[in-house]
Amino acid sequence: MLRRAIAALSLACLFAAGLRLRGRGGTPPERGGWRELTRPPS
Amino acid sequence: MPQSASVAVIGVGVVGARVARQLTSSGIPVLLYDERSDVRHALALSLRALELNDLTKLDPTTTPVVVLATSSAQSSLAKILLELGHHVVCTGDDVEDVREQLQLDEIARHENRVLVVGAAACPGLSGLLVAELAPRVDTIDEIHVAFHGTGGPGCARQHHRALAGDAVGWHDGEWIDRPGGSGRELLWFPEPLGGKDCYRAELPEPLLLHRSFPEVSRISARMSATRRDRLTARLPMMSPPHAEGGVGGVRVEIRGSLNGERCTEVAGVAERTGIIAGAVAASSAMALLNNADSISGVVTLGDGRLNDRALLDDVIRRGITVFEYIGSGA
Repeated sequence: MLRRAIAALSLACLFAAGLRLRGRGGTPPERGGWRELTRPPS
Repeated sequence: MPQSASVAVIGVGVVGARVARQLTSSGIPVLLYDERSDVRHALALSLRALELNDLTKLDPTTTPVVVLATSSAQSSLAKILLELGHHVVCTGDDVEDVREQLQLDEIARHENRVLVVGAAACPGLSGLLVAELAPRVDTIDEIHVAFHGTGGPGCARQHHRALAGDAVGWHDGEWIDRPGGSGRELLWFPEPLGGKDCYRAELPEPLLLHRSFPEVSRISARMSATRRDRLTARLPMMSPPHAEGGVGGVRVEIRGSLNGERCTEVAGVAERTGIIAGAVAASSAMALLNNADSISGVVTLGDGRLNDRALLDDVIRRGITVFEYIGSGA
């Protein structure tokens, strides 16, 4: 029973590590948002 | 415009006082009327404006434009003033009152006078922002307006009622009513406001924007609210409103197509609501002083009859900074 639990935990850890290392989350955007309205000349 | 032409401001609460201040700073003589004589007197002293003790003494030859900034319904007084020969600028945002103001079009045309409906923050600035964004797309399909904050106590009470009322909207060619307080959306306003949960409310915005942009198929308006606001919306106000709300915001989003692709444009403002409303109403009054001879009837901001670009220029000159959302670039 204990061996099965350890094996399951190991598999889960391996899967999580794979996601963590190969995931494509990236960093949240650090530019953009609001800027003062630009208006074409009339 | 005669050199001595003045503007009368009726109601000198948060919005009325700001309108009067904006106009006097532009060198326009201002007449002030309010039933609270002490408030009227104090403001007249501080702005060097004239006090009006009796509304029947208003003369359209010397005071061609009247700004209504009362918290009560404005349509009946607007009708009387139009019939007396004044141009009128209304700042109210009660839906039924706005409907009645729109029905004054025939009277205004008959008298060859102009009635500007909804010349405040929202409605008002929102229409000008839509008009500003409209040339950026080939066609507009949807307009969604959101509003945060209140001006004076009258405005706060009106917004409390609005959250419990029926939210009118224009949806695929027909008017719809939805319960106020429904339809939550997290919307982002310019800083320092940031994200606010906004809900449908009984706001006149769709009525006025549909008039200005009849080709748009969906128009909605939302206002920000907290859980407590929604919970207590159908009850009397639990505590008296503040003398003036904090920083408020107007956010306008248009969706349409450009070169065959879907696109969205967003603009917004974060400023004290009374200041926004005061600047928009004062700019509208100035525009009527200068240009009203060429038009008559009901005007809504954004419909192009008062030169919306020049109006927005004037509002910006009065210290309102308008922002556009440029996305994350991601």
